[in-house]
Order: sequence, then C-alpha cells, then structure tokens
Amino acid sequence: MKTQNTALYVLRLALTLFAITAVVAAALAGVNSLTAPVIEALNAEKTQQAIETVLPGGFEEVLTDFDDQGGLVSKVYKGAAGYALEVLPSGFDNTITMMVGVDFEGKVLGISVVSHSETAGLGAVSAADTAAGRAFRGQFVGAGGSLAVSKDGGAIEAITGATITSRAVCAGVNAALACVAGLE
Amino acid sequence: MNFKKQFSDGLLHKNPVFVQLLGMCSTLAITTSLFNGIGMGVAVTVITICSNVLISALRKVIPNQIRIAAYITIIAGFVTVVDLLLKAFIPALSESLGVFIPLIVVNCMVLGRAEAFASKNGVLASAVDGLCQGIGYTVALIVVCVVREFLGSGTFGGGLLNGGEGIRILPEGVPAMQMVMPVGGFLALGCVIAGFQYMMRKMENARKDKEAAK
Repeated sequence: MKTQNTALYVLRLALTLFAITAVVAAALAGVNSLTAPVIEALNAEKTQQAIETVLPGGFEEVLTDFDDQGGLVSKVYKGAAGYALEVLPSGFDNTITMMVGVDFEGKVLGISVVSHSETAGLGAVSAADTAAGRAFRGQFVGAGGSLAVSKDGGAIEAITGATITSRAVCAGVNAALACVAGLE
Repeated sequence: MNFKKQFSDGLLHKNPVFVQLLGMCSTLAITTSLFNGIGMGVAVTVITICSNVLISALRKVIPNQIRIAAYITIIAGFVTVVDLLLKAFIPALSESLGVFIPLIVVNCMVLGRAEAFASKNGVLASAVDGLCQGIGYTVALIVVCVVREFLGSGTFGGGLLNGGEGIRILPEGVPAMQMVMPVGGFLALGCVIAGFQYMMRKMENARKDKEAAK
C-alpha cells in the first residue's frame, strides 16, 4: 500500500475504527433496551422471593430510619412476623447480597443469598439450593446475639473450603441482628 | 472448503484447548460442573461463529494496521450481547458463570480464529470454522469438567441432572475438594492434555503402520 503514510490514510484508519465502534455501540444500546426491563423484573422478583423466604407473610413497609452498621445493612423491610434486612457483607470475591429475616425477639427467621460471586462449588454452596446449602443456611435459624464460625469459636459450621464466605455470611447476619436490636 | 477436515481439526488435530492451548483462563476457571462446561462452551461457540462471520465479511474493509482493535471491538460487542441475553433469559447460567461470561472477550480462541481464519477466508467457511472450533472447545471443557467434578465433588452432571445436585458417584467426604479449586484445574487440565496427546500419538502411529503395510 503506497498511501500508507498520508494523512488521508490515517484518517481512513480512524474512521473505519470509529464506524465499527459506533455500529457496535448502537447494537448494544438496542439489545440493552430489550433486556434491561427483563433483567430488572427478574431482580425485583428475586428480592421479593428472598424476602418471602426469610419473612413469612412478606413485608408491609420499608423502613428508612435505621442504623446501617457501617454500611452493611442496605434495606429494612418490616412485616407482621418481623423484619427482613438486606445486608451486603464482603465475600471472597465481591460483595454478597443477602436477605436476613429477624423476628421481634431478635432471633433469625431465615437467611437467603440473593446474589454473590463466590467460587463455584465452594463459597457458592452458601446460596445453592442443595442439601449442603440448605443445611448451612439452616444453622442460622433461631440464632440470636452474635454469631461466628466454629474456627473462630462460634457455633456455625463453615462450608468446607469456604471459611471466608461463611465468615461473611456470619458478619451479614450479625449486622442484621445488631440493626434490629437498635430498632426497638 | 472441506467440512470434514475442518471438523476433525476443530475436534482433534487443532483442538483449541488440547492442542492450541487457547482459552486457558475459562478452561481452568469454570470447569467445576457439567452445567458450567456446556453453558460456557455453547456461549463461546455462538460468539466465535458470529464474530467469525462478521470479521470475514468485513475482512476487505478493515485496514491491516487496526485489525486487532477492530476484531476486539466486534468480539466485545457479541460477548456483551450474549451476556445481556443470558442475564435476561437464562439467569441460572449467568449466575453460575458470573464474571467469566464478560471475560470471553479475552478468550484467545475467539480472537485467534478471527486472526488465523476469518480474516483470510470466506463467510461460510468462517462460520463452519467457528462452529467446529467451538465444538472442539465445548468437548474439551466437558471432558475437564467431568474429570474435575468426579474427583472434586464426586458427582456427575452437577447443576444439570438430579435437580442440580448431580448424580452422586463417590460418597461424601471421599472426593478431594482441591480438585474443584484452581489448583485442581491445572492438575486436571495437564493430565487430560497428556492423555489426549498420548491418544493422538497412538492414532497417528497406527495410521502410519497401516500406510507402511500397504
């Protein structure tokens, strides 16, 4: 190519790349506008389901005046049976989004992991709908006060190979319990 | 164009994982259950076909100096589309593969096929190449998944069969958890590649013997 060094050629390079990025961006905008409402509806449904799992009867009002325990508690829902709290402890990889149900006596009704990016097969067990996952989450039901994994001298049996995730879940539940204790 | 040759290349002689050693990151990271392996394989296959077709169609328009940037932009576009579609319509898979879906952008297999094949061949041949390489990649992932899942969790078909728990083969407590962790990925992949190379060598020798006998 003999025109390689001319300004015109440089311009052609820039314009070609610009055209490609522009078309790709437009296509992505199109796809995003199609999928965004679906993804949002899915997330809302998931939150709703998580609340109903941990708080029998669902919630009636969303509380706005609460102590967020250093940013760990993001939302508090109040229902007839108690509270459902969305907590965001730091997991192995990233933030874990969890829903914790707490009754008016300050005891855990149940926990549910909404979203996470823990290791598949290890930390991900905390959220999985399997026997191991249910057993892990079941340990929290009825607990109160402050919880810790057995390695740290607590009563919670950590998920095998996922102590950090288990600690994170404990931290989330503790934050939820402390937050509820401050509500009354 | 020779479909049969492309197919055997993708699956065996030029298998992206076992021979070309491309796409190692995803191969090591997500091969912990059969569901993940198949999901990742199909996602990468679709993306490779789409990017191969588009890059092949544009191969005379894209100037040589900016080809890599152009390819990556196109590939990233398709990856993002797949990511969004999975999030919206197959949320279970999207959650299971997590960050490794967007990371398909840097899967060298996709760019490798764009550079090595689609930029030099016609649209149809490129589509077939994407399909064959994708199948080779998927099969490789499945093999590594089955090995790791068996040794690490003691199950088969995790996330897919038996309501997501997989069919238990080894009793709980026997499997070595290490095998589903990253270190197990390296160990399993190394052994599977060694086994594959051994098998290929044997086949090659058998073919040579046959020819010599003639």
